[in-house]
Amino acid sequence: MKYLAEYRDGAIARALAAQIRRTATRRWVLMEVCGGQTHTIVRQGLDELLAGAVEMIHGPGCPVCVTPLEQIDKALHLAGRPDVIFTSFGDMLRVPGSECDLLQVRARGGDVRIVYSPLDALDLAVRHPDREIVFFAVGFETTAPANAMAVWRARELGITNFSMLISHVTVPPAMVALLSDPTNRVQGFLAAGHVCTVMGWTEYEPIAAGFRVPIVVTGFEPLDILEGIHLAVRQLEEGRHEVENQYARVVTRQGTVPARALVERVFQLVDRKWRGIGEIAGSGLALREEFAAFDAERRFALGTIEVAEPAACRAGAVLRGQLKPRQCPAFGTQCTPEHPLGAPMVSSEGACAAYYNYGRFRTAEPVEAS
Amino acid sequence: MCLGIPGRVMEVHADRGLTMGLVDFGGVRREVCLAYIADEVQPGDYALVHVGFAISRIDEAEARRTFEALRAMSQLDELEWLREVAARELQEMDRTAAP
Repeated sequence: MKYLAEYRDGAIARALAAQIRRTATRRWVLMEVCGGQTHTIVRQGLDELLAGAVEMIHGPGCPVCVTPLEQIDKALHLAGRPDVIFTSFGDMLRVPGSECDLLQVRARGGDVRIVYSPLDALDLAVRHPDREIVFFAVGFETTAPANAMAVWRARELGITNFSMLISHVTVPPAMVALLSDPTNRVQGFLAAGHVCTVMGWTEYEPIAAGFRVPIVVTGFEPLDILEGIHLAVRQLEEGRHEVENQYARVVTRQGTVPARALVERVFQLVDRKWRGIGEIAGSGLALREEFAAFDAERRFALGTIEVAEPAACRAGAVLRGQLKPRQCPAFGTQCTPEHPLGAPMVSSEGACAAYYNYGRFRTAEPVEAS
Repeated sequence: MCLGIPGRVMEVHADRGLTMGLVDFGGVRREVCLAYIADEVQPGDYALVHVGFAISRIDEAEARRTFEALRAMSQLDELEWLREVAARELQEMDRTAAP
């Protein structure tokens, strides 16, 4: 592994890593909850650079990865309907459902289109008044303002052939669920910079205080992440547990207030299942009753379905930090980016795909039990 | 999926009451919803854009730094979609314009 290969600030990064090592008097366990951060950490080998001083657990920070199988199956069903144009961000197309994925539905004649923005899906609805346009609304808080606006706008403009299949999740309830688990090993968090760009960090303050864990709002570049880790380690060494902001260049405590306001106006908090983890109370967003007409599950009366994850996939243990991706028996054999069993192998932001793509599949590592 | 791409706001206009703008992402331009930062953005400013929505105004130095970082990390997926979508829109316009 060439640490920080091709990284232009490699020398600064190495100096920061050395500083973290000097600060840490014991090994600390931190979790990042951001697929972009996971990607950077694994790609640049930041975790291996800090081995012995800091263990990084790659949390459920990839929205593609935590979208439950049930919602994927509903998407596949809708995408196969002849009256539907099914629209989605590109990274959902290869996520395996129970039977197939959206790309395969498209190959069989389903009208599945990649859009860049939910407003593009709304434009499609205007241009194809004879078709039903369904948008697969997946994401964390960063994406929620865009999807909230699309629904708001659809109502405002009187567009009636537009709806959303929603699988929106929010980060703080997942952190609470992880911290409340008796097997939890996480001692501090890096919070996702662009989630906090929208939301600010007030929601994290009671979590830091209540569970006595440092939470550092952190960007996604290698130097950001090393700085975030250093701030968290310093808090742990000093016995502090506060919310700190490493990413002050972009994030403010209140976030982007108009965006938060519209998200709250359009969505309400609901219990939501996370793929590989299970249901987390109050962790999802669903449309408020007054916007029910834009809810694809209601419009097409999809009801509830129960499906089982492939038994060989250990995504849940990986997302909780109980297993490193390469400790999963299916990793790199039954399960590869070309033929993924579970979602963390699909998205480049998923921990399994990041390990696979950056050559972390050759050697097994010892179980890092504490 | 949550990474925003920095872009430069070229112009600002209203589309049936919604503040929109043309934003330049390293040479690729597209319409972006500016409603969430409408009070603080002007042509020439830089914004962090996620799935077609500006979520924060940032300064030029941050915009350049982030853009370069995304390029180095091969994390400009959003920009790739943007290119694809732009190309498709052009095709569609050609089709509509064809006699």
